[in-house]
Amino acid sequence: MEQSSQETPRAVEVTLRPFELSDVDAMMVWASDPQVAAVCSWDAYESTEPLLAFIRDAVLPHPWYRAICLAGEDRPVGAVLMMPTGDLCRAEIGYHLARAHWGKGVATAAVKRTVAALFDEMEGLERVEALVDVANPASQRVLEKAGFTREAVLRKYCAIKGVVKDMVMFSFINTDPLVE
Amino acid sequence: MEPAAADGDARRAEEPAPPLVSLRPLGLDDTDDFMAWASDDRVMRYLKRPLCANREQAVAQIRDTVLGHPWFRAVCVDGGHPVGQVSVWPYADDGGRRANIGYALAHDHWGRGIVAAAIKMVVGRVFDELPGLERLEAVTDVENVRSQRVLEKAGFHNEGILRSYIAGRAGGKAKDAVIYSFLSSDRA
Repeated sequence: MEQSSQETPRAVEVTLRPFELSDVDAMMVWASDPQVAAVCSWDAYESTEPLLAFIRDAVLPHPWYRAICLAGEDRPVGAVLMMPTGDLCRAEIGYHLARAHWGKGVATAAVKRTVAALFDEMEGLERVEALVDVANPASQRVLEKAGFTREAVLRKYCAIKGVVKDMVMFSFINTDPLVE
Repeated sequence: MEPAAADGDARRAEEPAPPLVSLRPLGLDDTDDFMAWASDDRVMRYLKRPLCANREQAVAQIRDTVLGHPWFRAVCVDGGHPVGQVSVWPYADDGGRRANIGYALAHDHWGRGIVAAAIKMVVGRVFDELPGLERLEAVTDVENVRSQRVLEKAGFHNEGILRSYIAGRAGGKAKDAVIYSFLSSDRA
């Protein structure tokens, strides 16, 4: 692989791969972190047994659930997934990252890779969307840097852990230029 | 009944009182009336429901998608037979908090304020009739200006444009949509 040029000092390279059961310990790093779980529908895991069951029952059979690895490393530092909607033209994505890797462009790199992969792999896909809590500016910045367009604030769109949230809708459509 | 509100259209000032709209459940007895709009592509082109080509398909659609529906109403005018439909469908994954509103009106009755009146009635009662409902949303094709006006008249908030959101018909390109919402807290 060619050496990447030096003009973007903070460029981060990640790879995406399917999860394996043996990733449970790496996944536990973010799955047990209350700060990661705070914005998700699930509660922080307290032991690996239920997480192993989650990998086996929800992640492995999932249509598109990928481990985020830093280039050259095999240990996952986060996850990105595609959630199908009722329409083939439209898919939603979600992502989480271990806190040690926040603020370094890792999630942005993973989202860029995800968008490219989904448009390549999913026939008929025209729109990738993501919903972020209005109170989560860091995640909104990830999407903006990955080339998503902020479209709307959907009022009282969903409840996370019993708290009703306004969510910002972002999209990346198949005619948008992929961001390097 | 209140006098017709001035809406800036000089023609309307001379028209008779606006139609009296009522909502009621729709059943198999209403099949022939249902066909009047459910078979009309001008009416159904923006809805996800398949067009009814014949009476058998209309019966099947009523039986399969109307009778067991969480909230489906026939729209009637001046105490007469149904001329349209309005429905509220809670999304599966949200515990009934969020629902989608859809509607269709026979083409002959367009332009009389019937759908706007029907939607106002829906908004006035559906939050009580579907406990837990907090957000009613409507998604319209950006080209469906008529529908957008109806929602605005009924007090819905335009939240933005969602690009390539609505699947294209017969494999065509996806269409941009406008998303609207009416919250239970928006009620006066």
